[in-house]
Amino acid sequence: MPAAPVTIRSPWRRTGLIATAIVTAVTLAGCQAPQPEASGDPIEGGTLVYASGDAEPTCLDPHVGGNYPQALLAGQFLESLVSRDESGEIIPWLAESWEPSDDGLTWDFTLREGVTFSDGTPFDAEAVAVNVEHLQDPATQSSTGYLAMGKVDRVEAVDDLTARFVLTTPDSALLESLSQPWTAMQSPAGIARGMEENCEAPVGTGPFIVDGWVKQDHVALVRNDDYSSPPADAGHDGPAYLEAIEWRFVPDSASRYAALQGGQVDVIDNPQPDTIAAAEGDDAFTWIDAPRPGAANRIELNSGQAPFDDERVREAFIRAVEVNDGIEALFFGTAERSYSALSSAEQLAYSDEALFEPDLDAANTLLDEAGWTERDADGVRMKDGVRLALRFPVSTNQSIPAEQSLFEQVQATAKQAGFDVVIELLDLSSWYGALFAHEYEIVSAPYTKVGPDVLRILYHSDSITPAPSGYFANLAQLDDPEVDSLLTDAASTSDEEARADLYRQAQERILGGYYLLPLYDQQNSFLLDADVEGARAMPTVSTPTFYDAWLAG
Amino acid sequence: MWAVATLTFFAIRLIPGDPAQAILGGPGSQASQEALDQVRRDYGLDQPLIVQYLAMLARLVTGDLGTSYALRTPVAELLGAQLGGTMLLAVLALLVAWILALGLSLWSTGRGRTAGAVGEGIELTAAALPHFWLAAVLIAIFSTGLGWFPPVATGTPAGLVLPVVTLAIPLAGFLAQVMRESLLDAMQQPFVVSARARGESTTGIRLRHTIRHASLPAISLSGWALGWLLSGAVVVETIFAMPGLGRTLLQAVTLRDVPVVTGVVLLVALVYVVMTVVTDVASRLADPRLRQEGAR
Repeated sequence: MPAAPVTIRSPWRRTGLIATAIVTAVTLAGCQAPQPEASGDPIEGGTLVYASGDAEPTCLDPHVGGNYPQALLAGQFLESLVSRDESGEIIPWLAESWEPSDDGLTWDFTLREGVTFSDGTPFDAEAVAVNVEHLQDPATQSSTGYLAMGKVDRVEAVDDLTARFVLTTPDSALLESLSQPWTAMQSPAGIARGMEENCEAPVGTGPFIVDGWVKQDHVALVRNDDYSSPPADAGHDGPAYLEAIEWRFVPDSASRYAALQGGQVDVIDNPQPDTIAAAEGDDAFTWIDAPRPGAANRIELNSGQAPFDDERVREAFIRAVEVNDGIEALFFGTAERSYSALSSAEQLAYSDEALFEPDLDAANTLLDEAGWTERDADGVRMKDGVRLALRFPVSTNQSIPAEQSLFEQVQATAKQAGFDVVIELLDLSSWYGALFAHEYEIVSAPYTKVGPDVLRILYHSDSITPAPSGYFANLAQLDDPEVDSLLTDAASTSDEEARADLYRQAQERILGGYYLLPLYDQQNSFLLDADVEGARAMPTVSTPTFYDAWLAG
Repeated sequence: MWAVATLTFFAIRLIPGDPAQAILGGPGSQASQEALDQVRRDYGLDQPLIVQYLAMLARLVTGDLGTSYALRTPVAELLGAQLGGTMLLAVLALLVAWILALGLSLWSTGRGRTAGAVGEGIELTAAALPHFWLAAVLIAIFSTGLGWFPPVATGTPAGLVLPVVTLAIPLAGFLAQVMRESLLDAMQQPFVVSARARGESTTGIRLRHTIRHASLPAISLSGWALGWLLSGAVVVETIFAMPGLGRTLLQAVTLRDVPVVTGVVLLVALVYVVMTVVTDVASRLADPRLRQEGAR
């Protein structure tokens, strides 16, 4: 699998040398980091205005809860022990090196020397221990970071610069988990202030510092002049070039683009596909296309109840549905069809196009075999008086308009085989409600996590068991002991090759069982004014970083 | 007010969805059992519904609006911070709507059929314009096209122009319709003839006499209008990225943040009540007849 987590599809030359540098870096498949070239010397100073369409976080500390909007912001002022480079290799950040024990139960991290948090607290092994405790404390209300630290028993400070992670079981995903913004390191003194204060302005080691948060308006970030700890793939050393970042919350996508066009803001996220297509033909803008890691966007088939407890009916649905034309038309060529459960940002993603070849005749034959032979007046298949109806709750918070339209095409094409797809557009809480109550046959939910271990969260049978809240991540309700054992083994092996092979087998089995219909990578795009140089998306969870960025002209 | 609080409380609980889950984020963040339990305990969500309801009432009676589930700050503080922006927006929009409506109705009445028809056409069209569409068109013309006003309101006076105009235009349509009818009505009154007989010009009559009559129904409509503007603020604040009550409400509903939703709804109800009183007083000032009745 070619791994290209960050690509800039800009055909124009005028956008500057940085873009060229990044394109080059990608072409070399991650052999080197983007380097500012000599002729375009970075300019110090200036304020970059960022307009975010993601929900405004309710707390800026990504340990609390732990969602993508928090990660977007936290990436500017918090840093992790490790990072990931373009090729998916784990690289040093706040930790210089690491060494697992032979049994995989203890990991010694050697920390970078001389790093201090922006409040003056030294970054040391004790700080790492405090952060992991903070993540594991129920009072923190952490969910993403808490899960990522699930196999960590405790962290011991061997000496000032050696933090020892003691695990309960071997965890091949530990480094990937630690590379995520949700497990980033915060000042112990900052955490000690209590949740309310820490939510307002978490204290990290990052290139910027939270200077104030005007709710529903913006977060002010100022440069950390003492900054000294860039990740191994950064473009320069020392403090950032930008003096400040004004991080605005602009929920309406048309307004965001208008503000970018008018020069009111320098960077926008979540541009709609038609906006990207329009901006692509305009050399005033640069497009950063950075698919999120973890799972691809996909439609899950609920195999836990009729009619999809029958593999033939699942296959029939997947054969009946035709999405390629819809993706092409509705996304204006900005999204590429996926045939994998994993994001193309994952090196270990396994694709099988043949499994998803549309074939209406085959679908009809399969449904006949499965006993869905009668049809009602609307042409919907019936079996023992039951209609072949599929409830499809769609979250309007998570599915952009283009995706909602795509689901209508799914509905139309499935109809030809005799499926009655009932789309329900719901707000986030109602959508959860429908999932908890198992009132769905098909559903689409994003999931972002660094590394293929996301497969264990999504397809291990343990994830069917709902918490009393009703939440479960295995929405396909895939319950296959062989998949379970493959995923468990893959998560605990320390042998890279064996791990890759186990994940491959697991994916073959998951895709081959027709539990899901992959659509495309989790779309994650940024449009930048062409004057913004040196910005890039982190190869961890594809959040933008402005450490190397500067404003030209 | 009690009825409003009760309705809001149960309405939001009728919609499916678990506040505890919503508090802890989306599917990208799978909440742990410990975290959920903690949240439920912290916010009293593990209590029976009726207990939660009574607890809320007891709080409200003492003037305590509670603490936001999502933002973890007192609701009163939260609303206090956002009230100013939204009220400024609504009051400015009301003012602009009044000016537009007065201008339009004064211009279009008594000027013959064509002016009347054109006036009515403009009013109907304006009143029927949805905010989201109007906002998009205004942004396309005045931000993207002409570059006069920014599409994202950053607290500068220039940033307020488009949101205010977006809210004002449909409202002006409503107000002008009402004003024009009563203006036409007033023009037929005997006092107009006597004023004319005293040698008043047409414009003088309009400005000095009939305008008072015309404004009466519009004044009583303004109380309703302010409430209507607050609901319009949900759309306008979202599009122009302004901080305010509308966005607070939208976010709170999505997150099932009951204390905040109740707080906003109570506040809007309060604005209605206050505005009814204010328009009553204003009507008395504009119409001496009402004052005499009161004196009797």
